[in-house]
Amino acid sequence: MKKELIELKVNGRRHEVAIEPSKLLLDTLREDLGLTGSKRGCDDSSCGACTIQVDGTPMLSCTMVAASYQCDNGAHEITTVEGVAEHGALAAIQKAYGDWGGSQCGFCTPGFMMTVRALLQRNPEPSDEDIRHSLSGNLCRCTGYTQMYQAIKAAILAEQKGMARGNERTEEE
Amino acid sequence: MSLPTFKLLRPRTVEEAVGMLHRYQDEIQICAGGTDLIPSMKQRLFSPKYLMDIRGIEGLERIRVTPGLGVELGALTTLTAVEDSGFIHKHYPVLHEAVKTVASPILRNMGTMGGNICLDTRCLWYNQSLQWRKSCGFCIKKDGDLCHVAPGGKKCWAAFSADTPAALLCLSAEVNIASPSGFRRVAIADLYTNDGVNRIKIAKNEMITSIYLPESSAGYSGAYKKLRIRGSIDYPLAGVAVALKRKGNIVEDAKVAITGVNPAPHLVPDALHALAGREVNEHSAMVVGELASRVAKPLTTSLLTPEYRREMVRVFTKRAVMAAAGAEFSI
Repeated sequence: MKKELIELKVNGRRHEVAIEPSKLLLDTLREDLGLTGSKRGCDDSSCGACTIQVDGTPMLSCTMVAASYQCDNGAHEITTVEGVAEHGALAAIQKAYGDWGGSQCGFCTPGFMMTVRALLQRNPEPSDEDIRHSLSGNLCRCTGYTQMYQAIKAAILAEQKGMARGNERTEEE
Repeated sequence: MSLPTFKLLRPRTVEEAVGMLHRYQDEIQICAGGTDLIPSMKQRLFSPKYLMDIRGIEGLERIRVTPGLGVELGALTTLTAVEDSGFIHKHYPVLHEAVKTVASPILRNMGTMGGNICLDTRCLWYNQSLQWRKSCGFCIKKDGDLCHVAPGGKKCWAAFSADTPAALLCLSAEVNIASPSGFRRVAIADLYTNDGVNRIKIAKNEMITSIYLPESSAGYSGAYKKLRIRGSIDYPLAGVAVALKRKGNIVEDAKVAITGVNPAPHLVPDALHALAGREVNEHSAMVVGELASRVAKPLTTSLLTPEYRREMVRVFTKRAVMAAAGAEFSI
């Protein structure tokens, strides 16, 4: 099939790419834009490793046709894990994941980052139940999730203190 | 895995969309959220020449309340939007309960109400890769002429696996269907065929544009119970929706529907008869469970045995009736 020129807005920048109309967004991000943070896990929309955000909403890039998400009229602002860092420094949640062992082999981590980020943007003070519910579409085979919940709480605390000091461990620990 | 090649169509109006459907009838697939279609396209269950992305059509993504009539849900309203709607939660709790069990939170951000109603039927022998299906000699539903589930049979028993239609049946919902000659309105109860292959009575040049919940169904208490392997994702292997209208503790109206076991969702006949004019208690809930399990005809279309799924329809119906009545129950 002939390639077509489309425009995607990814992490705040516009990109023109020539792709086949049937190309998946995940492949376009990874192969055409070199954004290999988003991972292909199950490839059938069960694992969440390919999670990205479109206009702030987490979605699965392995189940999206890239040409359907062309930027038009301000819609379809795509954010990948590469766009999470703020001004060259790790975001609070990224730092906390490192400090608390929220990430081990790391394959699922970019997907989790995008889901957690969306949760915290929508609900800055989620309950344990909110966190578990919102992460229920992302799978991790290493951590057992507990460290992730700790990391998320640490990141919330760090955000509340106004600085990313996610490694400050509390007395309760 | 990559998708089979297609040309992408992006209509901006319903008229344009049905025009495209009419022109390319056998070569086109409608894609809204894509959560059902795209994994199936990877498995080569569909290889359309044209893929019509309808998300660009204005006005199909909304929840509109008209006092005196009811609620109109646009076909492109995401499942998350329905889940988050306080109005739906308050007035149509059975739909709220059903919608929040669909797949995972991320998939609900993508999947739409129209898509959930049009979900393909599912079977262990169908939802597999091309290589897998080829190795087994294909099946009636796709590319073959035999059924592995009911050998010798000519009917496809793939199970209808959407959650919300069971709730919509309880609410006497209707769908608005657009075609090149205009619109028609069909009750959800008349939409499905109980045939795993041609599961839904929507012509190739038609598409669902909205769903109506009548005002007369508002205020029913409701519950939805679902059997699945993984609690956070997965299609129903059995699903039961219950809506009750009570005066004091006495049941005035009751609707019970099951999904995930037959090739179509079904209302349970006589459920009202078993409950009307009485209080809900374990005994009457159990009777309804028995009635529901008689409607369920599961076959080996999933990893769980048909016997277990049918038994779970009975148990979950009992639990759902009790939950809808706000009653305490032991099992």
